[in-house]
Amino acid sequence: MAAMQGFRDRVAIAGIGYTEFSKNSKVSTLTLATRAIAAAVADAGLEMDDVDGLATHRVGDSALPATVVHALGLRDPKWLLDLFGGGSASHSVVGQAALAIAAGVADTVVCYRAINARSEFRMGGTGRPLVDAAETQYQAPYGYMAPPQQFAMMARAHMEKYGTTAEQLGAVAVTQRGHAAMNERAMMRHPITLDDYLASRWIVEPFRLFDCCLETDVAVALVLTSAERARDLQRPSVLIRGIAWGGGFTLYSSDRPDSTRSAAADLAPRLFEQAGVGPRDIDVAELYDCFTYSVLVQLEDYGFCKKGEGGPFFESGATALGGSIPVNTHGGFLSEGYAHGLNHIAEAVSQLRGSAADRQVEGAEIALSTSQPGYIAGNTSALILRRAP
Amino acid sequence: MTDPVPRPAPQADRDSVPFWEGVEAGELRVQQCDACGRLRWPPREICGRCRSTASTWRALSGAGRIDSWIVAHQVFHPAFADSVPYTVLQVAVDEQPDIQMIGLYEGEGEPAFGMAVRAVFVRGSNGAMLVHWTPSPG
Repeated sequence: MAAMQGFRDRVAIAGIGYTEFSKNSKVSTLTLATRAIAAAVADAGLEMDDVDGLATHRVGDSALPATVVHALGLRDPKWLLDLFGGGSASHSVVGQAALAIAAGVADTVVCYRAINARSEFRMGGTGRPLVDAAETQYQAPYGYMAPPQQFAMMARAHMEKYGTTAEQLGAVAVTQRGHAAMNERAMMRHPITLDDYLASRWIVEPFRLFDCCLETDVAVALVLTSAERARDLQRPSVLIRGIAWGGGFTLYSSDRPDSTRSAAADLAPRLFEQAGVGPRDIDVAELYDCFTYSVLVQLEDYGFCKKGEGGPFFESGATALGGSIPVNTHGGFLSEGYAHGLNHIAEAVSQLRGSAADRQVEGAEIALSTSQPGYIAGNTSALILRRAP
Repeated sequence: MTDPVPRPAPQADRDSVPFWEGVEAGELRVQQCDACGRLRWPPREICGRCRSTASTWRALSGAGRIDSWIVAHQVFHPAFADSVPYTVLQVAVDEQPDIQMIGLYEGEGEPAFGMAVRAVFVRGSNGAMLVHWTPSPG
């Protein structure tokens, strides 16, 4: 048995916690973090003093674990992780916490992401230096500096190569809004039509306003503990079945064979092999949706449809609630809000617990949740979760 | 036209000084691995194919093809407030198409996938020389 297969189902996500999703939290990222952590610990039915590890990812925009640990009064933490990274790192944090628990380094780790991504530190926005100076020198002088521009560049290449249409991008925005209408946490719940989508203003061609995720103030936290311990807790256990990390492309790669292919195509076979399942076994998929196009390319690169057919596949209705593989059942970053990835994992947990109310995927047993698929950050990560038998 | 605030100038790092010196001189310079011949850009010491650290700077022809493009409408930096909409290209250079460069489009018509372009060197209002791309017939 390969080592990673020995890791299957050994760690559980036992609690999930959120703050409100808003455009202005009016509180610090430290306060957001401690609120979400307290909510997640309560959801798990644990006490704060049970927590002996904390993990987060940041891009210089949030409270660090060493600060949070003191704010919460946690004595003698056994494991802390402060990972540099944005949306490509969200699932990596959870995977690394799971490894720490499986290795016996810590018993109960809370993974959190706290951001005031609208009211304080806007992604790729103005008002602060860009973090990756080395790559920025080849882009910023040309007015090319924000994630919507970088993903729009990839989307255009896909449209040119495979004939992906504006209507197919729009189908992602419209469908996910429909899901958000059934999610009381979601920031944007009023339905939109394809005409609304097409009439929305250009941000950066080929992306319109509704192609872009919501800049959000929010924190989300997840409590991880051993599968054995989780069995005795109050919530149905959701087990980490597989975790994989991968590389990706940046301008520095200098070997990007094709702008229409993400690093998920390399990661996916490894992830499915670890989990012992394939794309057809996935009941619900929460896919990183910083932009509409990101969903289409991942449907292809995770093997839900053939390369180049993400647009028609999404347009067919397969990814809507009631379809063969419902995607972003909470509305995703496009409509629930942008917690940088952990809200996708939290939604997968709700689906596998059977507690997703009106948007529940009936009988959901296995879920995929993904991070930014290595398009602009040079790395990626993803998880497969399952309901405990 | 003057920009409301200066545009960001290239901030060379310790690897990239020769590249930007080349741009200042009107040349698109990249490293070529002395051991395996592979071109590499952006600059760094080691060849990602054969791991040799010996390389020689070489001037490219400046010819390339459009791999993708965007038209920026939203202003993400105040220096570009009076310039929107503007078109940014991702160009695959002819000598080795997996080297892809970002630059502004200097052309009349719509860009197109695979369109032949060539580098032109334009001094911006902030004094920095930059690489733009213009259609190259034939």
